[in-house]
Amino acid sequence: MANKVVRWIANFFNPPKDAGVDLKRRHVVSAAVVGLGGGWLFHAQPSERNADANSGVRESAPNPALIRPPGALAEAEFLAKCIRCGECMKACPTNAIQPAALEAGLQGMWSPVLKMTIGYCEYKCNLCTQVCPTGAIAKMPLEKKQKVRMGLAMVDKSRCLPYAYGKACYQCQEQCPLPKKAIWQEDATVLNSEGEKIAVKLPHVDADLCVGCGTCERKCPVTDQAGIRVTSVGETRNPGNQFTWRDRYSG
Amino acid sequence: MAKQKTSRTVWLRRVVQTVFLLVFLYLFLQTAFHAGGTAGKGIGFFFDIDPLVLLTVWLGGHAAAAALLFSLITAAVTLVFGRWFCGWICPFGALHNLVSSWRGGTNKQKIDSGGYTGWHRTKYYVLIAVLIAAIVGANLAGWIDPFSFFYRSMTMAVFPAVNAGLQHFFDWIYRWNPGIGSARLTLVTEPLYRFLRHYFLTLGQPRYFWSMLFGMLFGGVIALNFFRARFWCKYICPLGALLGLTGKNPVLQLKTDPALCNNCRICVTDCQGGARNGGEAWKPSECMYCWSCQSACPSDAISFKFEIPGAKVVESQNRRQLEKVGVSENGK
Repeated sequence: MANKVVRWIANFFNPPKDAGVDLKRRHVVSAAVVGLGGGWLFHAQPSERNADANSGVRESAPNPALIRPPGALAEAEFLAKCIRCGECMKACPTNAIQPAALEAGLQGMWSPVLKMTIGYCEYKCNLCTQVCPTGAIAKMPLEKKQKVRMGLAMVDKSRCLPYAYGKACYQCQEQCPLPKKAIWQEDATVLNSEGEKIAVKLPHVDADLCVGCGTCERKCPVTDQAGIRVTSVGETRNPGNQFTWRDRYSG
Repeated sequence: MAKQKTSRTVWLRRVVQTVFLLVFLYLFLQTAFHAGGTAGKGIGFFFDIDPLVLLTVWLGGHAAAAALLFSLITAAVTLVFGRWFCGWICPFGALHNLVSSWRGGTNKQKIDSGGYTGWHRTKYYVLIAVLIAAIVGANLAGWIDPFSFFYRSMTMAVFPAVNAGLQHFFDWIYRWNPGIGSARLTLVTEPLYRFLRHYFLTLGQPRYFWSMLFGMLFGGVIALNFFRARFWCKYICPLGALLGLTGKNPVLQLKTDPALCNNCRICVTDCQGGARNGGEAWKPSECMYCWSCQSACPSDAISFKFEIPGAKVVESQNRRQLEKVGVSENGK
């Protein structure tokens, strides 16, 4: 019996002629070269770089549109673990998580990105962190997820209604889900096309509070390209994608 | 030759496959927002039992979610039972199996195209490329892992399409409102719609960029079954390749009684993996243990038996000795 088991194990390495998996050596080598070359090329892509925050050297080329779901690991680790199964996209109640086209390069194709034109990251939801089967999006209790920065909202003064057109609008400030609003308003007087003075409230983003959930962008009345938009700068998972002044002066 | 009655084992296998396909669809629908802000329970089940996911995530990320360790059970079972997983558990395989059963062609065509060919090796090369890439930190498995592929296609193409289709259908019936007097069709369709709305349809229509692409890829892969039965499983699937390598020397073995076999090759007709070309030869690494050959054999020459495959070495050595003197088993 023991003898048979030993031979059974030996068979894995030297199988009988007709039963084995008869791979051709040159094809095995070719496949390995494809895998190795492809794998190495993975690491030569601009989006993956996580520059050293303290060096002050801007080596990385972070993509402003590459906004990952909350809890997503740093890009290199994320791409090593994400199997693009779509569980997070199915679970997301606002449909904000979308399959990436080329935001993360060809190697990140179909991995999850947040598209605030479709949805936004619901403040009281952590479903994507619950469902990810591989841990590419780390499991996170709701309180922890609510502190993760996915990016930062920035007002586009040429598209924001109070700034550009002197129209009264408070949508982004009202919709901001944070307990202490990340958008504050400045009382200001602007001129309309008749030259009349109009009192408006100009929105400003508090960069220390904003988590980049995109609710403001989604709810902005300027629907195609909102007057306030989230980009990936300041994302928790990437120390190389911060305001450099923040890195230098707040350590 | 009278057509054999489909065996009980084959029926049992079909039931098991159906159950796992339904479990997959149920877990898919469960992956949604539930009261209390939780996703459904156990929704990662199929990824947890997928050793390819464990292997690539662990190789690439040097750490893996603990639940993925369940897939070691799959691997251990495969050591003994071969690629039983592909034939009985895999929901994507069940779908391919179902579609394959609709393909046309005569028995002769099926026999000629259903056996083992060099193309079966392709999936092993896919696996090798995926694993080597994972070692250097690039996870390519997701594009082509069967559960990823199936789940992604369901999320981004099939479910949105079905959701939109049903919504349109019930809207259409509601607006048209056919019927006689007070007997309206909506009396039937509206309760059905409310039921679907509650358990199945989503509140808002799910929309995804690239959903047409995912639909075309999914449809294309399914359509390949009309070219060769279980095309994906035989030639592409890297999980199948991984399980094939793990289970290439299984304890559960297919035995053909040479005294009964008349080499009619009926067994190849519905062979799902292309593991045999008739006669005694059998490729365990390609066999999905679907029992179709055993069921189809008019001479009852085929059986599955537990046997530690060590004895095979002796047999093979005998064969090599025979070959040295110019005699092969087939007598050619």
